[in-house]
This record gives sequence, C-alpha cells and structure tokens, in this order.
Amino acid sequence: MFLFNLSLPEFLAILGSLSGLTVALYLLDRTRKNHTVATLRFFAAAEKPPVLKHRRKLQQPWSLLLQLISLLLLLLAIAQLRLGSPARYSRDHVLILDDSAWMASRFGNARSGNARLIDQARLAADSYVNALPSADRVMVVRADVLATPALLFESDRKKIHLAIDQTQPGAAPLNLQQALDFAAQAQRVQAQRPGEIVFVGAGRVSSEQAARLAAPANFRWIGIDGPTEHVGLRKVSVHRAMDDPDVWEVFIAAKNYGAVARSIPLVVAFGGSPVATRRFELKPAAEEDLTFRFKTRAAGWLEARLSTQDTFRQDSRAILELPARGALPVTIYSSEPDLLRPIFTAIPGIEAKFLPVSSYQADARAAPGAASGIVLLDHFAPPSPPTAQSIWLEPPADRSPVPVQSTQQKARLNQWQADHPLGAGLRARDIELASAQIFRPALGDIVVARSDAGPLIVARPGNPKIVVLGFHPVRSGMKFQLTTPLLFANIIRWMAPDAFRSWELTAGTVGTVDVELESEIDPNAIRVQTEEGRSLPFTVEGKNLRFFTGAPGVVRVLTGDRELVYSLTLPQPGDTVWKPSNVKLGLPPRAPLGPTSRDLWHWLAIAGAIGLLVDWILYGRIDRRMRAARGAGAGAAGWSSWRKAS
Amino acid sequence: MKTEPLIDSAFLEKLERLAIRWQKSFPGLVGGHNISRFAGPGQEFLDHRQFHHGDDLRAVNWRAYLRLEKLFLKMFQVEPRIPVRILLDCSNSMTTGAVSKFDYARKLAAALCYVGLVRLDTICIQPFGQDLGDSFLCGGGRHRFIPAVKFLEALKPGGRTNYFQIARDFIAGYPQRGLLIVISDFLDDAGCERPLQYLADFGHELILVQVWADEDRAPAWDGLLDLTDAETGETLEIGFDDAARVNYTQAFDAHARDIQRVGLRNSGRYVGLSTATTIEEAVFGPLARAGGLE
Repeated sequence: MFLFNLSLPEFLAILGSLSGLTVALYLLDRTRKNHTVATLRFFAAAEKPPVLKHRRKLQQPWSLLLQLISLLLLLLAIAQLRLGSPARYSRDHVLILDDSAWMASRFGNARSGNARLIDQARLAADSYVNALPSADRVMVVRADVLATPALLFESDRKKIHLAIDQTQPGAAPLNLQQALDFAAQAQRVQAQRPGEIVFVGAGRVSSEQAARLAAPANFRWIGIDGPTEHVGLRKVSVHRAMDDPDVWEVFIAAKNYGAVARSIPLVVAFGGSPVATRRFELKPAAEEDLTFRFKTRAAGWLEARLSTQDTFRQDSRAILELPARGALPVTIYSSEPDLLRPIFTAIPGIEAKFLPVSSYQADARAAPGAASGIVLLDHFAPPSPPTAQSIWLEPPADRSPVPVQSTQQKARLNQWQADHPLGAGLRARDIELASAQIFRPALGDIVVARSDAGPLIVARPGNPKIVVLGFHPVRSGMKFQLTTPLLFANIIRWMAPDAFRSWELTAGTVGTVDVELESEIDPNAIRVQTEEGRSLPFTVEGKNLRFFTGAPGVVRVLTGDRELVYSLTLPQPGDTVWKPSNVKLGLPPRAPLGPTSRDLWHWLAIAGAIGLLVDWILYGRIDRRMRAARGAGAGAAGWSSWRKAS
Repeated sequence: MKTEPLIDSAFLEKLERLAIRWQKSFPGLVGGHNISRFAGPGQEFLDHRQFHHGDDLRAVNWRAYLRLEKLFLKMFQVEPRIPVRILLDCSNSMTTGAVSKFDYARKLAAALCYVGLVRLDTICIQPFGQDLGDSFLCGGGRHRFIPAVKFLEALKPGGRTNYFQIARDFIAGYPQRGLLIVISDFLDDAGCERPLQYLADFGHELILVQVWADEDRAPAWDGLLDLTDAETGETLEIGFDDAARVNYTQAFDAHARDIQRVGLRNSGRYVGLSTATTIEEAVFGPLARAGGLE
C-alpha cells in the first residue's frame, strides 16, 4: 500500500491540520439558532452582546468521529492510495504518431495488401501500448505540421487504442522538432512520473530540420519504412503578365525525392485542354522548374499533373482556379464624345460606351447599349441623378451635386491632394484653365485639386461615389498632359478598385506561408482569410507577410488592389528520413505479468461521501428539518438530546 | 385527516356541575342564576320600604297595613340573565411555543362556553387580533354547544394584537355591561393594561386568563440566537445564557403581575395558565380558585 500523490509526511501533515481544524470548528459553536418568539420585549430586558460560546466538551462525539473518518477517507482518495508495491509505479509516456501526408503512401506487396504507412504505424503503436505495464499512462500526440494531442495521459487501454485507430494521414509535412518539444513540455507539466517519448512513423522531414533535430534522452524511435523513390510537385504559381493582362504566367517546380534519376512528363491543362507539356529529367534530390505563358480571359481550372506511378500521389497533381478577367463598363453621356474617347480607350480594364445625352436614364443599365459601372456626365445634369458611381464634368451651376460657389476665368490649378488615392502621382502644376467652377464642398467631401480661389475637383465618398470636375480637362491646358489620363484612372480605381485588382495564385503546402509584398502596407489594410471568409492571424515585418494554417484549403491575401490566392493542398513531403542515433529503437519487451497496484481512490471517495451524508442525515440540518416537520409537540424533548449545534 | 376534538365528552360531564360566577350586579332580564343586589321582580324577599305614589299595589304588604295602618312595599331580590362574553386572542403570538397557545385557548373557551350553556347563560365568543373578528352568539342550553365548537375549530390565527383597537371596538359594539372573559397571552408591544382598564371602567367585569407556553416564560435556549417576533417580524440577535434567562423570566413575571393588578383592582379576577397545565386542571384548579367558576 502506498500513496501516489502525497508522501506520508505530507499526508499526515494535511490530515492533522484538517482534523485539528474540524475539531476546533466543532468546539467553537458559531452557529446561530433561529427561533420565532411571541414577543421580543422580554428579550430586550435580557439582552447582552452576542458572544461566541466555546464548548468545553464534545456533545456529539459520534458525529465528530464520523466527520474525521470521512475526512481521512477523502484525503486518502486525493492522495490516490494504492494497494501494491511502490516498485510498480506507473509512468507517463508520450506517443507521437506521425500523421503527415507522407503516411498515406502505400507500400505494395501481396502480403501487406497494398496497405498505407499509417496502417503499419497504427499497428506498431498498438503493439507498443500493449507492451507497457497496465498502470502506465499514455498521451497520444498526432504530429504533422502541428503537434495535436489526441488523448491526454490515460491508462485506459481502450481509449488509447481508439485514439490511435482514429489517426489518419493529413495533408501537411511533418514538423518533428515541434512534436518533440511538445512531448517534453507535456511530460514536464502533466506527467507524474515521466516515461518515454516514442515516435512512430516514417520520420520524413526536410533536410534543414533533420540537421537541427536532437533526440531527448528518453526517446524511442519506432520507424516505419516506406517507399524511397518519389517525384512530386513542389510549387505551382500563376499570375497575370505585367505587359498583357490577358496573359497568365505559370511557374511549376518538381522535385525528385529519391536516389535514382527519373524522367517524368508534366502535363498542364486549362479547362481540360492542354496548354503546356514538359518532361522533367530529374537527378537524385534535384529540383527543376518550368515557366510558360498562356492567354485567356475566361475562368477555369488550371491543372498540372506529373505522370508517375509512385505510391504517394498527393503531390503529383495540383489544380488552381483561375478567375475571369472582366472589363469595367463606363457609360459616357456626352455631346462631344470624340474629345473623351482617346482617354478612356487608353485605360486598360475598362469598356467605355459613348451615348448621346438624350438617351440618359438614371439607371445606367436601363439605357440602350449601356452597362452598369461608372457613368460620366459631360456638361450635363440629368433630371434624376444616376444610381451608379458618377463623374461630372462642368455640370450646370444650378444643378451640380456639389454646390458651385463661383465661376472663375483664367483659373490656375496649383495644388493636388497627393496623399489621397485620387491625387496619387499627379504632379502637374500651374495649369491655366480658361474657365473653371469653384465648388463649395460639404463636410466629408474630398478636395482633389484646388486653385487659389477654391476647390476645382471634389470627390464625395459614399454610395454611390461622385467626383465633380469644375472644368473640362480636354478643353483646358491639361489636354496634352499625362495628368489627364492618370486623373481618370485614379478616379476609376477609387470608384471600382476590383477592376484593377491583380491576381496571383499559388499552390503550396500547409504550414507557415511567407508572402512578399510589393511595398510596405498598413497591416490594417491587409486581410488574410480562408475560403469560408474566416480571418487568419498574420504578421507583417517590412515587406514580408507571414501566416500559418494547419488545414489544407484556399487562403486569400488581400492587400489593396492585389489579391494572392494560396491553394494549400500540395503536401511537400520531407526530402530525408531522420535517423536518430543513441536512442532506443523498436518495440520494447513486453512488461512482465504480475500483481500490479490497484487504484482505491474511487472506493475511498465514495466511502468518504457516504460518511459525510450519514453525518448530515443523523446530526445535521436535515435532522432538524425532520424534527420540525414532525411537529413541536410530541417527542420534542426526546429529540433535543440528539440535537447538533454545529 | 381527522383532527383532535377540542374537548371530549368525559370532560364535558365533569363540567356540568360548574357555573360561571360574577361579582358585580348587572341589570338584566330575570331568569339567571346569579343574585343581583338590585331589587326587582324576583322570588326571594329582600326588604321593605315606604310606599310611594306610583308603586305597584300588588307588592304592598297588606298585613302590615292592617296592623300598622301604613303602606309598606315588599322588595324582592332579582336574578338577572347577564351576557357572558369570551374574548379569544387569535393573533400570531398565540401560535408560538412547543404547545400551541391558540389551541389551548380554544379548548379553554369551549369549556367555559359549555359551562355557561348548561346554566342557560348567553355566551358570546368574540375572536380578536388586530380587530374584532366575527363573533358567535349562543344560548339556550347545552344542545347549542356543537355549533360553538365548530366555530372555534374554524378559527385561524393571524395578524398582530392591538388591544387599544379591540377595547374601542368592543365598547362601541357591546353597550350592555356583562362578564368579559379575556383569554390571551396579553403580549401587545403597545401595552394592554390601559385598554383593559378602559373595559373595566366601562362597567364590564373582567376575568383575565393569561396563557403562556413554557418557552414564553423561560426559554431553554443557549448561545447565539436569531429571534423573530411572530407578530411584527422584527428580528433580534442576542447572546442568551442562564443569567439572561433569569432576567427574561423576571421581566415576564413583572408583566404578568401588571395584568393581574389590572384584573384585581377592578373587582375582576386573574388566572395565569401555562400550556403545560391540562385544561381540566386549569378549570377545576386555578379558574375555580379564582372564583370564575364554582
């Protein structure tokens, strides 16, 4: 018989303290007795300050004895009293089960039935658990890119085997260092008597990780041998070409993980039609890449496929969903369309439609030949304002959306709002305008350009957005300036940022993803979210954005007008198998069958609880209630001798 | 669930030889059993007096006239029928104690009611608490006892005592003087001596029956007590020990003496009864010794 949680001196000290406290509380009668009396007037004459009354002798010794015994039993239960020999101490082991993507590999032969590595790993883990003494506790940790505890320290073999059997290969590579750190931490914090840290799996990690790995002293390695030859895709990346937005630039990298040179054909298809083929001649441990361009405005699936017969096929195929490239419709109501045509045909990504003023309709989509998007009103103020975003050029003074303060002849544009996207990159100064309207902006309006007399270009945020120009840029001195198309491009970008959004799609592996940003961006303007719209935490350090995801799927990174889509489905298995040295290998010998210690705390806790319940029923408040229910008449004197005061 | 009867038949048989007695002389109808000092149309000769004009000629002593040639009038002792009223305390303070004072008071009222009915007295049972409740009037013999018992059994305790209000309502509601038996614990924080004095001054003869439980007089508790007043709900937290118990009992006895003093100085009677005393002992013991019954 021995105490598991407490040493004997600790146990005796706690028991002595609690018993002394119980007896002291028992002797110190602090209980107030409630009575209903006919009148308080005579008590006033007898009144004296309340004082604590100390008992000089035990009135209910059996009650006190029952309480002390119950206390002893409960304390023994907390101390986990056990029957048996202390030599049979149980130990707490951490079983790290490799559930990385590589564990889905099959090793085919007739005897194994083309089983997966994970099946063999589960068998080995079950064998290890069966070899342990029955009192030993095991924590099951599933290790891929994250170490996830599947079961806390548990001695119930059914639960342990269930946790092992429910382990399935994931889609991530193995991060063994993190799993070892986690196991050591769990043993430090939660284990009563640390046992072994056991790894069961293929142990395929990156060569950098393998170089840094250090096995702990209590480490046991149960390796699962898998296939050695494998070729897989490492990365697939697609983005629009800078020179032609209709062209996609594709980058594909493949790696030979084996020790034998391989010649593997690659087929890239878009919408089921091949767009590129290539045969990779891969030397052992070598990586090759392919870059090519293809043109399409349509949306569709881009599939890269390696034609291999490897047993691990999760990284032989990658699929990316390419978005369609749409053009932003801009409807221009003007009586002089030829003036504005060169500007709007020069801006890529928009589809300008010129209509006469007479065909104006408030809903741009309702106008014949018009489309929704942005409406431009040239020297024209419609009876009902447009429902879409609108650009107004020199509107009539009495019907301008932004009140016209005055009209100035020979105005001089000398200031741009350079810190706002609408004025970004506009530097032309001292532009003389033959005639210009000076506006009186409202609160919240943005003054994009101004002269000495006042605002010349005013933008009004909201829905819909409005930009009003107090002059016609083509008729003025700005006609031959680069500022003119840039100004309209800024306005359209401000009104419809999606129209200029650049796309970049990458197929990679789950885990930590580093993103190279074009410039230093305010982190508040960045969103990293999953396909379901759930935001992911991320860090930004200079031009480097970093986020982590432990599950395969699509992650979108939105940084202003740039959207990066990460299809994190490529497993990227490690390129080397870690072989630890100076550690225990394989399954341990089966523990000798013999008498083991028996847990008694369940029964001790139940007995203690019953003792307290009996004390409460016999001597406690329930007894008083029963007496009260029986009536104060008969037997009151008889019961009073049993009355408990504490 | 069958409840215990207020009074059993064996005890009733014993009560039949008793009668309620009062000491004052009250005007009333002929037919009672208590002799009055007032002269009237009675059977027993009382005295002679000079004849005055208007006197009843039937009462002239003609033999004396023949002998003395003067008109003398014979006077007779009257035995009037006087109302007996029982004021029964139904306040919450009557419910405290190991033995309910309220039940005890009801049994005592039933016994007195039976004694009065046997002697053909008119009995009025008047419960009270904060105010006077609905009364019950019976008379004409023992066969009217069962309705009186049912009335008593139907009474419920509640509220707090207000003796000033009771005295005021009683004097207003019962102008005819008579015997007034008050069965109560006489625990009114505003004091009950002056209201009782008002009732006596009005002309009623008082029999004050004070009922207490043993806990009311000498509480057996020790230590810290949280006490709640049964009527007002006020609470008091005190330490209680033997010395405090002695002080308490002295205060209670002083109160009882005050009640007794009110009864005796108005030619009434006072009986103090503990609920530990049986009704039979109370009737044939203290009540009979005090002269309320004979």
